Amino acid sequence: MSALIFFFTFALIAVGAAVGMLFSRNAIYAALLLIVNFASVAFLYLSLGAPFIALAQVTVYAGAIMVLFLFVIMLLGAERLPPSQELPWQRPLGIVLAFLLLIEAVYGIVFRVNSAATLSLPVVEFATPAEIGSALFSTYLLPFEITSVLLLVAVVGAIVLTRAEGGARRRALVSQITQAVATEVPEHKAETPEEEKELV
Amino acid sequence: MTAADVYAILPLIVLGGASVVVLLGIAVHRSHSLTLILTLTGLVAAFLLLPLVSIEAPRQVTPLLVIDSYSIFFSGLIIAASFIITVLSYSYLSQQRGHREEFYLFLLLATLGSVVLVASTHFASFFLGLEVLSVSLYTLIAYSRKEYGIEAGVKYLILAGLSSAFLLFGMALVYSELGTMKLAQIPTSLSNPSSGVSQVFVLGGLALIVVGIGFKLALVPFHLWTPDVYQGAPAPVTAFVATISKGAMFALLLRYFTVVNIHNYPSLYLAFVVIAIASMFIGNLLGLLQTKLKRLLAYSSISHLGYLLVAFLASGPLAAVAVAFYLVTYFVTTLGAFGLITIMSNSDRDAEDPEDYRGLFWRKPWIAGSFTAMLLSLAGVPLTAGFVGKFYLVTAGIGSALWLLVIVLVVTSGIGLYYYLRVVVAMFASLPKGSTIAPAMRISPHFTGALAVTILVLLLFWLGIYPTPILRLIESMVTGFS
Amino acid sequence: MILPWIIIILVIGGTLAWIAGRFGPHWPRWISLATLGIHFGFLLYLWIQNYSIFTLTTRSPWFALFDIPWISQIGISFSLGMDGLSLLLILLINLLGIMAVACSWNAIKDRVGFFHFNLMWILASITGVFLALDLFLFYFFWELMLVPLYFLIGIWGYENRIYATIKFFIFTQVSGLFMLLGILGLYFVHGANTGVYTFSYFQLLGTKLPQPLGFLLMLGMFLAFAVKLPVVPFHTWLPDAHTEAPTAGSVDLAGLVLKVGAYGMIRFLIPLFPKDSLSFAPIAMALGIIGILYGAIVAFGQTDLKRLIAYTSISHMGFVILGIFAWNTIALQGAIIIMIAHGISTSGLFIMVGDLMSRLHTRDFRRMGGLWSTLPRMGGAAMVFTLASLGLPGLGNFVGEFLVLLGVYRVSIPAAALATLGFIVATIYSLWIIQGAFHGRNTEGWKLQDMSSREAAIMTTLIAVILWLGIYPQTVLNTSLPAVEAMQKYAIETQQTIVSPQISPAQPLPIEGSITINTGGKP
Repeated sequence: MSALIFFFTFALIAVGAAVGMLFSRNAIYAALLLIVNFASVAFLYLSLGAPFIALAQVTVYAGAIMVLFLFVIMLLGAERLPPSQELPWQRPLGIVLAFLLLIEAVYGIVFRVNSAATLSLPVVEFATPAEIGSALFSTYLLPFEITSVLLLVAVVGAIVLTRAEGGARRRALVSQITQAVATEVPEHKAETPEEEKELV
Repeated sequence: MTAADVYAILPLIVLGGASVVVLLGIAVHRSHSLTLILTLTGLVAAFLLLPLVSIEAPRQVTPLLVIDSYSIFFSGLIIAASFIITVLSYSYLSQQRGHREEFYLFLLLATLGSVVLVASTHFASFFLGLEVLSVSLYTLIAYSRKEYGIEAGVKYLILAGLSSAFLLFGMALVYSELGTMKLAQIPTSLSNPSSGVSQVFVLGGLALIVVGIGFKLALVPFHLWTPDVYQGAPAPVTAFVATISKGAMFALLLRYFTVVNIHNYPSLYLAFVVIAIASMFIGNLLGLLQTKLKRLLAYSSISHLGYLLVAFLASGPLAAVAVAFYLVTYFVTTLGAFGLITIMSNSDRDAEDPEDYRGLFWRKPWIAGSFTAMLLSLAGVPLTAGFVGKFYLVTAGIGSALWLLVIVLVVTSGIGLYYYLRVVVAMFASLPKGSTIAPAMRISPHFTGALAVTILVLLLFWLGIYPTPILRLIESMVTGFS
Repeated sequence: MILPWIIIILVIGGTLAWIAGRFGPHWPRWISLATLGIHFGFLLYLWIQNYSIFTLTTRSPWFALFDIPWISQIGISFSLGMDGLSLLLILLINLLGIMAVACSWNAIKDRVGFFHFNLMWILASITGVFLALDLFLFYFFWELMLVPLYFLIGIWGYENRIYATIKFFIFTQVSGLFMLLGILGLYFVHGANTGVYTFSYFQLLGTKLPQPLGFLLMLGMFLAFAVKLPVVPFHTWLPDAHTEAPTAGSVDLAGLVLKVGAYGMIRFLIPLFPKDSLSFAPIAMALGIIGILYGAIVAFGQTDLKRLIAYTSISHMGFVILGIFAWNTIALQGAIIIMIAHGISTSGLFIMVGDLMSRLHTRDFRRMGGLWSTLPRMGGAAMVFTLASLGLPGLGNFVGEFLVLLGVYRVSIPAAALATLGFIVATIYSLWIIQGAFHGRNTEGWKLQDMSSREAAIMTTLIAVILWLGIYPQTVLNTSLPAVEAMQKYAIETQQTIVSPQISPAQPLPIEGSITINTGGKP
């Protein structure tokens, strides 16, 4: 019973925070509400016997990522979100679809409850850091490696995509010059050396 | 993992290693040609390893990947296509200013992600492969930062992120019911009567997975990103999105829904039928309204994926052969078309106005002739690969008595014919006297791009005239699996 | 090996002509002529070799067969065969091919090489259609034909050519895909019945089809043939394509492409689906009669001379479909004669219009008049072709139409009676052409150069052939008779599998290329 109260308390907080985040027109509030959401979800993980995931959720998402979010928002001074521009039919359609999904989910859950079987609960030692570590480095070594590739892609991608700001003006200049010269000279030629050193 | 396991995934390791080498190479010495050579070496090495690996096949490497003839075939297709795209990129990037070398890194990594996808037998590898592919593509699409590049990149980022969320949720639902993420165990868990599995959740989960897949394949209700991304991305990247990304996903779809027999789920089957019909109609009808070439090819690819679904729904050995062969022809044709756009493009913009192609045949007959061949192949005209491919699709469809789908295919491909012909007409039109040539047309093609396109044209005719050898290969590779 | 060479020579010739176009405009023309000359040599060789056996009906109707595996995985082979029917139609291809080259000798001035490339490839693919004995191969050539024709009309045509070509292409390709559905349905039914999955014509003959699938498959194939022929509700591409095509394109369209539809019906539709197609025959014949009358009446209302002739084609093709679906020897023979005679007379008319256009720069019928005084020789030639078109005895069309009516009369008297009305309307529009263009007052004061010797040579050749057909049609009838009888036999013997003369379905197809030229009648 107490588990149920625990669940519903945090579930309601999570849902409420998520809804509040969606409707908030202030970016800071939205980010803070998201942190609340993350934290309450972390409690739910805890109640499911997955302490590692709960802590990872708090440290990584509620902690690191959201701090970065807030930092960026304040840096850009983008606290006030502009009023959203949407097509007239978008909101009603979204509401109808969401409602349908809700009905479907409720139906599914009711259906589920009526059926005799229940989920086989995981063993108690399901998600301890040691368990996760040994799984990651034995059975799931391969996906672990692929994840590292994924992170590599993301890091390099972010660098490549954001490098523009510094080089843009210089590049515009370079292209002006080359265009001025290019009437005789063939188009593609090496970039300026400082541009080459810009990255890495 | 045993040594044999490592041996079996050697092509993947080589691809991963090559990307690290390229990365370090860029750090040490920034050189466009050197990067190209490193990339191509990596791709060739990975490709050459495939036949060696196939001796070990079929082999389950951890629960995540399976190296069987099916995955080897599609890996080969993906790596070969990636090779062509790399060569085209060189031709394309030679005309661009700014950093060019990282482009190849992302190409390699996206290829790696695709190869993981076709070998995936587990939700984890499915998702990871997909993410490696997608994240590489975000960067590649926005790479050039031309007019629409950033917009396309952001659009793809948001929608791909959304579709990944659907996919994950679907996987979670399936997992919550079946307690497994291994593909091979899904049917056994499903058919086990004592487990009390709720079909509603499994079905819902599968449906959400289909949404995620449908996004990647740009099937109709999930196709909205396609034209913008095709238009905004650099031409070689568009080629990548159109061929490798979709091909890998389709191979995965076929594998998953051959294991989870789609005929056991009438509602899911019906959903696929609706998606197929909608894709064929929308792709071909909206294609009629396009004026930009890359957008036109985007709609064309939507309809072609719809055609592919016909064979997918037919299911059976002939269908698997048809899908594989059609994918080969689709790869050759689409790569050719985008390769030609690449050749025609210059540093300012991609050549996508019909005006760029007006009267091209009388000025550059080889380019225009090749492009005509590609378009006619997309339309399914004899002597080209597309003809045999479409023939196989229709054969597979009729073999399973999917009359409705096949008739829709026939009617819509008639509609689609119109816009392919419109481009052909433009190329053969005479230029009005005294008109100036569009700037994109002054480019003399870089020889690497020209070489790649020549190979593709030869392949196109070879597959169209004498497809027997490649069909034999496909049959030996693919039928064992289904 | 002679059969594939009949196709390959044209392919090579066309490619050479394209390449030679770089060296000057005359090269492609001469190369094309030379190619067609060799082509004719092949045909003559086959004809002479087999001519003497025609009276011996026990002999095989097939002059030559050729078969090598192609896409063996699903039972596709590169299988060609020639009988009297194919031979006659390929001779027609050759004749009209030469005429097409000749009539565009001066008319086509730019991109001559590519023009002749397309022309030769059209001829090659139509030859392929007439020779193919594998249904996939047939479909292959059938679709291939469109591409060069599309370029021919799309590049060298008149003002509205883009619209016309795209319409033409879409009509024929979509209908072609319906034919593919029919072929594949047959393939799978045959495979399910016998376990042998093959596209071979001889093996597919006599497949037992469940109802209503058989009827639907037949309709799919009928649709493709009906669009090409064209049968009336599917004819709308034809006037546009004809009008916008250059003269050589019109010649190819009217003379050859339309015949492909009729050929498909005789060779494939009825033998493969005998019961279904003959139960469909009343409707098809009704469509034929509608075509005869509709084409003629609409032709009468045209002001564009090329459009007028295009509509007369629809009328003539009505007779052909009537003759085919009557499905007896006389009517079929008549249909074949009409196919040839119409090819020649209509081509003659189109060439004449082309010649007129090069002088008048208009096709508008209302601006002509009184041309006889300034163009007496051309007027005379035009007279012959229009008379042929209206079915004057002594000229080829008459023989054909007469035989068709005779054959139809045995099947359905009302149909024959209604079709006879076609003669009357044909007379009206034919005389209308002559009167409007060549007689009457020369209101615009045209003063023109009469036919050049090249034009005269074209006309003379065509007139000679059409006269020959009218006076001694026995040449043609003898050649086609064994083929016609064989087709009828195929269609009747539905109960047992037809055993082809050289390839027995019981044993697997020969792997190596095998040819068998029937030298039976030679001493």
